[in-house]
Amino acid sequence: MSYETPDVDGYSPISVLVSAVVGVAVALLSVWWASGFGPFYETLFRVSPTVEGGGVGSDWVAGNTIPSLDFLIALVHAADVIMGVFILFMVFLHWASFRRIAARMRHPNESESGDAVMADGSGSGGETE
Amino acid sequence: MTNLDHGKFTRVTTLFHSLLALDVFLLFFTGYAIMFNSELWWMVTLMGGATGVTALHRAAGLGLIALIVFWMVLMVISPTGRSNFREILPRKADVDAFLQDVQFMLGRTDERHPHARQFAGYEADEVPLLSYVGKGVVFIFAIELLLLTISGLLIWSKTGLMQYFATRTAAMAFVIFHGLLGVIMVMGVMFHIFEHGMHPAFYPVETKAFIPRSMIPESHDEDDDHEGTGIEALELAPSWHSVSTIFGSLVVVGIVSVLMGSIVREGYPVPRELVVSGDVTNLLLTIGINIGMFVLFVGIVLSMYGNVMRVRWEKEMQQRQREGETVADGGEPQTDD
Repeated sequence: MSYETPDVDGYSPISVLVSAVVGVAVALLSVWWASGFGPFYETLFRVSPTVEGGGVGSDWVAGNTIPSLDFLIALVHAADVIMGVFILFMVFLHWASFRRIAARMRHPNESESGDAVMADGSGSGGETE
Repeated sequence: MTNLDHGKFTRVTTLFHSLLALDVFLLFFTGYAIMFNSELWWMVTLMGGATGVTALHRAAGLGLIALIVFWMVLMVISPTGRSNFREILPRKADVDAFLQDVQFMLGRTDERHPHARQFAGYEADEVPLLSYVGKGVVFIFAIELLLLTISGLLIWSKTGLMQYFATRTAAMAFVIFHGLLGVIMVMGVMFHIFEHGMHPAFYPVETKAFIPRSMIPESHDEDDDHEGTGIEALELAPSWHSVSTIFGSLVVVGIVSVLMGSIVREGYPVPRELVVSGDVTNLLLTIGINIGMFVLFVGIVLSMYGNVMRVRWEKEMQQRQREGETVADGGEPQTDD
């Protein structure tokens, strides 16, 4: 990895190692906590909403709505819709921008000088011959 | 020739990005196989039925926790992480960039704002570490992943959830909440795939996330001090127009479909259905959601392609070092022979 490159502030191996160890440890601990500090296999398949007869909600009797959770779900629904519309707008915005940018690039059929280089530097810019 | 991509990611970041992407894709495939199980019945079957899907989802969830904690710790304990964090804080220029993008779309301005630029045919200091979209992606995905992880762990945990809400209904509600929350992320990921796959200069995939900065030679030749971006020197791939049109349409259909699906298939309050989603009544929705999953699949393929590019690039760099050859712009000297 000692390429002839400009100075780059990378991450030190020790930082990476410490972070990785902490990451794995926290993941294991949190899952262990989620399993009630018990054996892992016991609770692995506890929530199976798609399993008929045995899934979550299959034997409720009463109290099937909880106002705070209702509100939370309504909130996420609203967030879904608002963010969805916004994301769609972003797609169209970038789609249109890309078309404008593409219009400025050299088109394959008008390649007169052969000094095209692909943006990734892979050199496959000449693939159109 | 200007340098083509200023290469913004370090090696650790590129590897983290790839691992996170694979893990999140697996979470999407398993999670939405559960949530939209009528539409994605084949996916449930492929992954070993409800048992297999939930097991895979949990395994991927474990991986996700490890990955995000790793990243949070790294951002705190390393100087690079801390300085990068300062770089991604939103600024007023990001709002300006968004507004200018709208004007660019409408043809009222000729250039995109520096904070919107992906194509790096500029001086290094003109292009920030992340565009305003990049910043948005980082922040929104970070918040989403955190909320999804917490709600996912609460669903997983028998005692954890029960101590707050002592009914199975509550557990059901949390499953719904978790799924609906993920919809925002899956829509964002589809946009992310489009944005970094269909940029005409980087088509079929922007490589800055795969080829680390340390491997990209930057040139500041005297002969490239021309005005503008240098984009006009690049050649558009012949398939770009048709592929970007088709893929853009698929992305839009996919986003609309999971959005509709999340509204139609809510499954809460509980008595309506035992399962999260209903039966196959809406053919269009079924097709649309499958198209959305196809978009995600394309994302996986592009991610793999990016990694293949990195390996190829690495080999080329090593070979070039052996030959003692330097190509200032990082392009293959293909036109010389």
